[in-house]
Amino acid sequence: MNLTEMKPPFIRGETSVASMMRDMLFALTLLLALPVVRYGPRPAVAAALTVLVCVLCELLFTLMQTKTTGLSDGSAAVTGMVVALLLPVNAPLWLPCAAGAFAIAAAKAPFGSTGRNPFNPAAAGLAFAAVCWPQLVFSYAATGSGPLPLFGDCAVQTAPSPAAVLKQGLPPNILPFEMLWGNFAGPAGATAVLVVAACGLYLFCKRVAQWEITACFLLVVIVIAALFPRAVFDPLSSVKYELLSGSVLFCSVFMVTDPVTSPHTTAARCVYGLLSGALVMAFRWFGAYEQGAVFAVLLSNAAAPVLDDLVFRFRGWGGELADA
Amino acid sequence: MQRGIKLEQHKAESLLHPVQELPDAAGLPPPKFFRAPKGRPDWEAVLRAAEEAEITDEFEDVPLAEKLRRMRRAGVSLALACCVDEDPYTTSAMAALREQTDGVIAGLALAARACGAKKSEIAVADRREKKEILRRSPEAKLVVAGTRYPARALLRRSLQAEGGKAAFVGAQACAALAAAVSRGEAQHDAIVTVAGSGVEIPRNVRVRIGTPLRHLLDFCGVHERTRLIVTGSSVTGRAVTDPSVPVTAATRCVIAMLRPPRYKTYACIGCGRCSRACPRGIVPWRIYQEMERSRPDPLKLLNARSCIDCASCSMICPSGLDLAAAVKRAAAIMESGDLH
Repeated sequence: MNLTEMKPPFIRGETSVASMMRDMLFALTLLLALPVVRYGPRPAVAAALTVLVCVLCELLFTLMQTKTTGLSDGSAAVTGMVVALLLPVNAPLWLPCAAGAFAIAAAKAPFGSTGRNPFNPAAAGLAFAAVCWPQLVFSYAATGSGPLPLFGDCAVQTAPSPAAVLKQGLPPNILPFEMLWGNFAGPAGATAVLVVAACGLYLFCKRVAQWEITACFLLVVIVIAALFPRAVFDPLSSVKYELLSGSVLFCSVFMVTDPVTSPHTTAARCVYGLLSGALVMAFRWFGAYEQGAVFAVLLSNAAAPVLDDLVFRFRGWGGELADA
Repeated sequence: MQRGIKLEQHKAESLLHPVQELPDAAGLPPPKFFRAPKGRPDWEAVLRAAEEAEITDEFEDVPLAEKLRRMRRAGVSLALACCVDEDPYTTSAMAALREQTDGVIAGLALAARACGAKKSEIAVADRREKKEILRRSPEAKLVVAGTRYPARALLRRSLQAEGGKAAFVGAQACAALAAAVSRGEAQHDAIVTVAGSGVEIPRNVRVRIGTPLRHLLDFCGVHERTRLIVTGSSVTGRAVTDPSVPVTAATRCVIAMLRPPRYKTYACIGCGRCSRACPRGIVPWRIYQEMERSRPDPLKLLNARSCIDCASCSMICPSGLDLAAAVKRAAAIMESGDLH
C-alpha cells in the first residue's frame, strides 16, 4: 500500500468557482435562444466569437504571467457572453470582440485575473465600446427585420429602443406582451425580460448570484421611476417602462451581482445595490447615452471595498460576537 | 440564517450491519481490571474510576477525568452524550449508542454527576435516529442535533442561546465509564468505522486499543491500491502514511480512498460562503485577506480566537482556499501578543 500525505480537509463542498461559472454560462446561453429565433444564428455566432476572443486573451495573459496554460475557471467565457448579449444583434462582429478583448486585456488580466479585478470586466468592455463607437452600440435593428446575414455587415432598418424614446421624454408605447417577451429593439440578450427573470431565479437558487443586491437595486429603480417619470404618464407605467427597457434587469441579475466586484458582507451588499440602482437612474436622467447601466456598475464597483470597510468599522472590527 | 454546511451523507451502509469484533492481534496485553467503587459512587469516586480505567474522550482525545474536571470548573449545567458523527462517512458514535444504549445512558448519568451538571441528554443526529433509539429505550432523553456540519457546535450554539452551559461527552467514553464503575473494567476497546472508496463493505468494528492499523485494514479487506488513509474525521482528521500506528480510543473512523481528492485553487472571489457557514460568527475571508498582507494588522483580525477548528470555511470555499489555516495563524498572532 503506497500511502500519500495530505492536508485536511479531505472532503469539500460541491460548489467551486468553475461550477459557479458553468451555472452562469448556462443561464447566459438560455438568453441566446430568443434572439436566435428572431434574427437567425447571427447572435449565437457573435457570442461564440466574443467568448473565443476573451478566452484567447486570458490564455495569452496567463502564458505571459505564469508561463503555464491553465485556463482555470470559465470566467473569461462569462465575460464574453455578457458583452455579446448587451450589444445589438446587428452590430458588426468585430465590435463585441473588441469590447471583450478590452474587458480581459485591460480590465481583468492586468489586475491578476478572477478574484482580484476591482471592476466588472464586462462592464468595462462595454463602457469602452460605448465611448468609442456610440453610433454602433446604440443602433438596434428594428423588430421583424428577419434573419440577419451570418457574417459581414448587415444594413437593416434600425429603430429607436424604448430607452432612447424615454430619453427624449416620450412614452414608448409598446404592448405589455411584446415588452415581456422582448419583441422590441434593444440589446441582443437583455430584452427578453421573462427569460432574464427566470435565469435570475436559477442563479439565486444556486447561490451563484446574491439576491439582496438585485432586490435593493430594483427597489431603488422602481421608487425613482415612480417618483420621477421621464415622460408624461402615471407612475405605474413609468415603472414598467424603466424596468423593462434597456439593460436594467439584465444588469441587475448578471452584472451588479458579480461576487468579485461587489461587497462581501450582506449589509454592504444592500447599500451597494441601492447605490448602483440610484446611479443607473441618475445616468438615465442626466447621462448623454440612453443607457448608463454599465457606467453605474463601474462607479459602484469603486465604492464596494469602501462599503465593506465601513461595515467592519461599524461593527468595531469584532465581527459578530461569538457565544463564549 | 442557517449556519453550517449540508454534506452528502454516506452513513446508511455502515449502519446496516451490527458491530463486528476484530480478533485480537498478537502481542496485546489482556484487558485490565481494577476494584470497582462500592455502592452509589459520589462524584469524586466516578472521577477516580474514570482515571483508573484510563478512559479517553473520543471526540477531543483528552482523558475523560480531566475533561469532566474542566466541565465542573466551568459550571456546566447540561451534559450531552455525543452520539452524532459529524463526518459524513463515520457512524461509530451512532453504532455505539445503538449497541450499548443502556450503557451510554448509565454512563451519561455518571458523567453528569461527576461534572455537576443538573441535566443530561443524548444528542442524536436526526428524527429517524431518535425514533430508532426510543424503540430500544423508551425513557431515554434525546435531543436532535441535525445533520448540518458541524453538528456539535451548532447544537451547542442553539442550546446556549436558550441559556445555560452545555458540554459534550463522547458516547464511547460514556459506555466505558459505565463499565468502569459497575465492573471495574478499564477501557480496552473502541468502535471504529471503516469506510471509503477503498473498502468493499463499510462497517463498524470493535477494535482492541493498541491494535496496529494494518491488522484492522486487513480484516476489512481494504484495497491494495488505496492511496490515502484518513483517521479521526474526513474534515479535521489526519492522513496516515504508516499503517503500523496503533488504533486509539480517538480513532473513530478509518477512511480509505483509492484516489486522493484533488482540488483546484483560485483566488478568493468574495462570495461570503465562509462567513455564512462559520458556527462562531468569524469572517474567514476578511482574515485571509489580512493575512495575505506582509504585515497583518492584528486589530483587523476580528474574532479569530473564537475559532473551534471545524474547518467549515475551508470545506465550503469554492476557490479551495485553506481558510481554516489562515484563521489559525491569525489566532496564533493574537495569542502571542506580538502585534508588530
